[in-house]
Amino acid sequence: MKDIQRVSPVVFKATPLKTEKRNNWEVVMEYSGEGEGPYLVDLSHKPRFDFQDADLAARKPFGIRIPEIYGGSALENGVLANRMNRTQVSLYCIDGQDNTVIPDEPGFTDVTESTMFVALIGKEVFSICEKLTALDFLDPQRKTPFLFQGPFSHVPCQMVTLSRDGDSSGIVLTCSRGYGRDMIHAVINAGEEFNLKPAGENRFTKWIKSL
Amino acid sequence: MNRFNHLPTLKIDTTQKISFIHKRKKIYGVKGDTIATALFSNGIRIFGRSLKYHRPRGLYSLDGESSNTLMEVDGIPNVRCENTLLKEGMVIKEQNVKGSAENDILGFLDKLDWMMPAGFYYTVMHKPAKLWPIAMKQIRKAAGLGEISPEFKMPGKFDEIFLNTDVCVIGGGPAGMMAAVSAAKKGLRVILMESRPWLGGCFEFRSKEHQNRLSLHERAAQLSKEVESLKNIRVFTHASVVGTYNNNLVTGFQIGKEKDAFDERYIELRAKSVVVATGCTERPLIFDNNERPGVMQAGCALRLAKTYGQLPGKKAVFSIGHDFGLETALELHDLGLSIACIADIRDDGQDPALLKKIADKNILLLKGWVAVKAHGRKVVKQVSLSTIDGSVTRKFSCDLLVASAGMTPVTGPITVAQGKLKYDNHTGFFLPDAMPEKMHAAGRIIGLDDPLSIEASGKLAGLKAAFDCENGSIQEIGQAKKDLENLPGPVRGTKLVTAPVKGRKSFICFDEDATLKNIKQAIAKGFDVPELIKRFTATGLGPGQGGIPGHNLPLYVAKYQALPDISIKPTNVRPPLVPTLISTYAGAGHQMLKITPMDEMQRKDGGVFRNIGVWQRARYFSNDFSCKNEIENVRTNVGMLDGSTLGKFRIFGPDAVKALQRVYVSDMSKVKEGRIKYSAMCTDDGCVIDDGVVVKQGENDFYFTTSTARAGQTAEWIRYHTRYDGWNFAIVNLTDAMGVINISGPNARKVLQKVLDIDLSNEAFGFSEYKEFKIQDTVPVKAMRLGFMGELSYELHVPSSYMKSVWLMIKEAGREFNIQNFGVEAQNVLRMEKCHIILGSESEQRTNLLDVGLGFLWDRNKPEAKTVGAVALRQAEKDQTRLKLVGFKMENNTRAPRDGSLIVDTKVRGYVCTARDSFSLKEAVGMALVEAPLSKIGTRLEIFEDECGNNRIYGMVTQMPFYDPDGKRMKM
Amino acid sequence: MALIITCPVCGKRNGYEFKFGGEEKGPRPDETDLTPKAWCDYVHMNHCVAGVQKEWWCHKDGCGSWFTIYRDTTTNLERQVQKADHQEAEK
Repeated sequence: MKDIQRVSPVVFKATPLKTEKRNNWEVVMEYSGEGEGPYLVDLSHKPRFDFQDADLAARKPFGIRIPEIYGGSALENGVLANRMNRTQVSLYCIDGQDNTVIPDEPGFTDVTESTMFVALIGKEVFSICEKLTALDFLDPQRKTPFLFQGPFSHVPCQMVTLSRDGDSSGIVLTCSRGYGRDMIHAVINAGEEFNLKPAGENRFTKWIKSL
Repeated sequence: MNRFNHLPTLKIDTTQKISFIHKRKKIYGVKGDTIATALFSNGIRIFGRSLKYHRPRGLYSLDGESSNTLMEVDGIPNVRCENTLLKEGMVIKEQNVKGSAENDILGFLDKLDWMMPAGFYYTVMHKPAKLWPIAMKQIRKAAGLGEISPEFKMPGKFDEIFLNTDVCVIGGGPAGMMAAVSAAKKGLRVILMESRPWLGGCFEFRSKEHQNRLSLHERAAQLSKEVESLKNIRVFTHASVVGTYNNNLVTGFQIGKEKDAFDERYIELRAKSVVVATGCTERPLIFDNNERPGVMQAGCALRLAKTYGQLPGKKAVFSIGHDFGLETALELHDLGLSIACIADIRDDGQDPALLKKIADKNILLLKGWVAVKAHGRKVVKQVSLSTIDGSVTRKFSCDLLVASAGMTPVTGPITVAQGKLKYDNHTGFFLPDAMPEKMHAAGRIIGLDDPLSIEASGKLAGLKAAFDCENGSIQEIGQAKKDLENLPGPVRGTKLVTAPVKGRKSFICFDEDATLKNIKQAIAKGFDVPELIKRFTATGLGPGQGGIPGHNLPLYVAKYQALPDISIKPTNVRPPLVPTLISTYAGAGHQMLKITPMDEMQRKDGGVFRNIGVWQRARYFSNDFSCKNEIENVRTNVGMLDGSTLGKFRIFGPDAVKALQRVYVSDMSKVKEGRIKYSAMCTDDGCVIDDGVVVKQGENDFYFTTSTARAGQTAEWIRYHTRYDGWNFAIVNLTDAMGVINISGPNARKVLQKVLDIDLSNEAFGFSEYKEFKIQDTVPVKAMRLGFMGELSYELHVPSSYMKSVWLMIKEAGREFNIQNFGVEAQNVLRMEKCHIILGSESEQRTNLLDVGLGFLWDRNKPEAKTVGAVALRQAEKDQTRLKLVGFKMENNTRAPRDGSLIVDTKVRGYVCTARDSFSLKEAVGMALVEAPLSKIGTRLEIFEDECGNNRIYGMVTQMPFYDPDGKRMKM
Repeated sequence: MALIITCPVCGKRNGYEFKFGGEEKGPRPDETDLTPKAWCDYVHMNHCVAGVQKEWWCHKDGCGSWFTIYRDTTTNLERQVQKADHQEAEK
């Protein structure tokens, strides 16, 4: 019998320098030629959950509070909670929570497998975004972190803007897993003029800890 | 030619030569040249030939108002040479010529204009009827500008950008820059779009005094510096607006500079408020041969010198109707142009300071005179001038005739956004009357000419735009308004369109070779309004988008019909306001398609992929598109299919069953754990739109599948039909979360048993049963026993990231049985032999559940569920006029008809859904939707294939299913 | 697309992100004693107002909600948005 391996929908044309085995995923910690930024990091191995409940105000999934405003996000204990609407919140375990298992409650659905998940980090991030979507990431009315549910490169996505602060600007983005190949192609292509390069998880961890 | 290199307004660098090829000859321009100015500097006066009459055409304007200077550049036809910067090595060719632009064999057509009156192709050569197809071919050959081969592939990099801003300013002249600055100073986000490669507008090339001894071009530099110093203004130069729409959507395109990553990019912009400060172009003066090379507009002549460092001619005659014309004459005179005469349309009203200078320099000025004819076979050699009434004429020799009747505001961005214009008797302009919501006009577009007024109007518009963004005060706006009112208002404009000529060779529209005579012909035929005349004569329908005739046509039509001013109406303009490449609209053109988790492995196995909906799927696994081997392998051995594109959903919550009852026709309260429920969804009309299976995962917790095509709409469908009910249920789309492998064939159990350690016997895991288990204690799998292909079959739903490992395991386990891939086409044939339908193949929009024989799924005893489609199905039950799905086989063992072929007798009776030469049955079979009377077993079907003429083929209605009618094989 | 629609969850968005759901006609009628004509009227008859109408939209590329807006069919501009109407839109 073969080894069981999990495969990310995100494939970069870059050579991994350092990798780490985690829950059957082969996570790339660093790529060769990551450059000076902006960076594109694959986070598809990080657990993600959909949580739905008629009374969200009364619920604290993973013990964290759910943002009250629709489209609001909050990062707490390494879990990013994004309020999608009255009854629904998406939960991304982005910082050191890779072993999180699904709580035994009916409201949760594991959607790790449903989407591809990447981070775009660096000061040119929004110049890349405006080539791919009409969504206004720089809208002064929104306060970071905040969620967009809308098209990115014509495909419906969830995007969370975590920072709009110069070099530490960055967003995380999920879209249907099947679009992984073409989405990465579109983002890399749009970012080429800004020297966007694939980067390993270390870049992401460093960034998320700096926020 | 020697170029000026000392003028402060120059945009060229004469020290940097650029070589390019024109007519196979290497010639030189300089850095900063457009293709047009580089050609002109090489003494080239004839750029191409006109569309209809093959008249010589040359440089007339510099902003691309006409098709005169469209040329083929590097194989790309119809490049706007006035707007395209020269690049090293460009290969330029003339268009619409037989021979050369200089000596065009088709030049004789100019003498045959009497054969081609306005709209001639509507009226002549239609009788006898046989003549037209021949004539049409010749006309088509002659018509159109530029040539392109079907193999041509557009070179270059194209991109797109989507912008959001508070204020968008269209036009980077003085008014636009003032508007941008005053809005930006409020802290707003501002985008400034300018179609030329630099800011400055009508100030940028002029030496006239602004105030306090500052020249206009110095003032332009001052303003553009201020714009650049403000971080919240984003400037897009060489960026033209092509459309403006409601809710302040602005679209345009930008031409890239050398360091840009794109050659051209599409711009889509959403603003809270828009300022239109697009200024004016010149209104052409119409006289005989008014488009002869050597005739050009005042701005063109002046900018050739001041921007591009070359004199437009040696000896000039001016025929103008505005002070800008006089200013141009003086500036060019100072630069060394000899001026034979200035004819000014106006008897009086000129700026006295300009008149004094003209007198001081001894230039002959004739007031109340106008050019009536340009002489010279190919280029201007002489000009006849006459008094406005035509009573006195004089001739002057010259090589340049600067002709300009007046100014014309560029109002396109206002009118395409549904703003209204009104004819203004003072200026002779169509001025903005009713502006669209949150759009403001400023500068020359509202008739202003005084530099300070232009700037003040820009400031006012900027403040109004800021106010739209809830920033600023009424008081401020009031003050700015007062400031503007204290400055000079609009100047009186000339209204003369044409010199006193008959008009046979007086061109109102260059692009379409439309003359004044043509306009008269159209009016004589009863086309009395400009909008109709425009269409009948094609005036303004060319690539210049009405830039030349847009203003003159309504003025002339009004005058010719002796209409009062009040009824002069401009023709409509539509996007694109400026023509550009289709490639620019295509932009980066990212292909966004989904791939399944097995994509990589299937490609390695030789899969032939096709785009099916949003997915790329392996349709075949060899070049034999009949899929014989793939099909036989499933029937006799075992095959594996990627079914990952199926829609997959979780629905749960206290009201989940109610929601399922609403959309599925069956009684969904009867779904049992461990069993698969097959059911269908209908529209309110009972038309079947989806089928799939539902399994129960827990209390009020279901997992269901939909067809590939419906996956994207299912959640929204369920929510739509329950939108009033306030039910508490949740849906999660898991389509991409799970890959699906279908293992089918008599050996399927043997292969799977090697991978799984659960009991797979028919007793333990029977047909239509559902199981959940883990592979190697790790991979969670949902397994179903279905029989779509009519064989023993297992469908495994596996988390996508694990799919590769599971796929490889099964392949390895199947090696000893010689397991093979099969693709979507093989599946299509296999299921057709079994008469299992695919919605969309065996149904179309009007096909209902009963038509396709799925009526057994419908449970009529749940009216409280208000099932979508139930009411309509009850009515349809009694309807005998509907089509029925039948199976048929071909007579005399002939081949299968093509899908979609018609079933006919004296009229159309139905159509073939799917039909194939079946390898399993050794005959051609298929399914068809036919009228009820034809659905009886044994009925002969007459089949009409596309282009079959009188040769019909015949089939016979037969029992369904064709293969394994007892269904034993799938229950093995 | 020039159309802008205000999604009660996501705010003002480009019309491309939405799917039209028809005029507001009220809840589905009861099936018992429903005449074919009454049913057909509910499903297919529209008012086709030249002016402001209340209609359903789904934010299909965004949050997925169904909700109503008022739109002027002569200008294709959204008109006043009333908060109370969105309760039914919430999932």
